[in-house]
Amino acid sequence: MVSNYLLPNKYKKVGWFLLIPSLVLGFLLTIGIEYNINTTVFAFWFDEIMEDLVLFSFIKENIYNEIIGVCLLISLALVAFSKEKNEDEYISRVRLDSLLWATYINYGLLFLAIIFIYGIPFQTIMIYNMFTILLIFIIRFNLVLFITKRQMENEK
Amino acid sequence: MKNNLKVQRAILNITQQELANLIGVSRQTINAMELAKYVPSTVLALKIAKLCGKNVEEIFFLEEDD
Repeated sequence: MVSNYLLPNKYKKVGWFLLIPSLVLGFLLTIGIEYNINTTVFAFWFDEIMEDLVLFSFIKENIYNEIIGVCLLISLALVAFSKEKNEDEYISRVRLDSLLWATYINYGLLFLAIIFIYGIPFQTIMIYNMFTILLIFIIRFNLVLFITKRQMENEK
Repeated sequence: MKNNLKVQRAILNITQQELANLIGVSRQTINAMELAKYVPSTVLALKIAKLCGKNVEEIFFLEEDD
């Protein structure tokens, strides 16, 4: 009865282990703290102001932000989509509810950002927005499970 | 939907955790059902009824607004 598009529970720990540093470094990156990892990469598409358009060629690029982005996506996915130890139909429903809830909140916030935020800060918001849907989901899902667990301790 | 799961559990004299283990779900599920916050799947309702040795209708009931 449990939907099977989920990873085994053991990946959740791996996810958290990777997620915490990725979140910290990712946040630092958006306020301008970054390191140089200059290397040659294959670009499908490269275009910058004052530079020539490059299609399907090798270019020199600092891949620090790419590494952080990939780590964030992978770790968010691992935490969000690994089974709970006791994943069953009720937890699956909390999971789906939380995903719907996170989608509403995420696009609600984006809606507000479109109307009220202009210029460079909007670009920063867009960068956050790439990751917030899963982040909001993780927070909401775990919060509901935590509250349920605490309620059970009061019950007998 | 309402249920008298708590009564059934008292008759069997088992805890939420024991009931959860017996039918292979989490304790959260049992708790949520007892608080009428969760309507179980047909499979789960049938499993509980079987464990209690009763019909599903003796444990789970429709409400006016169902």
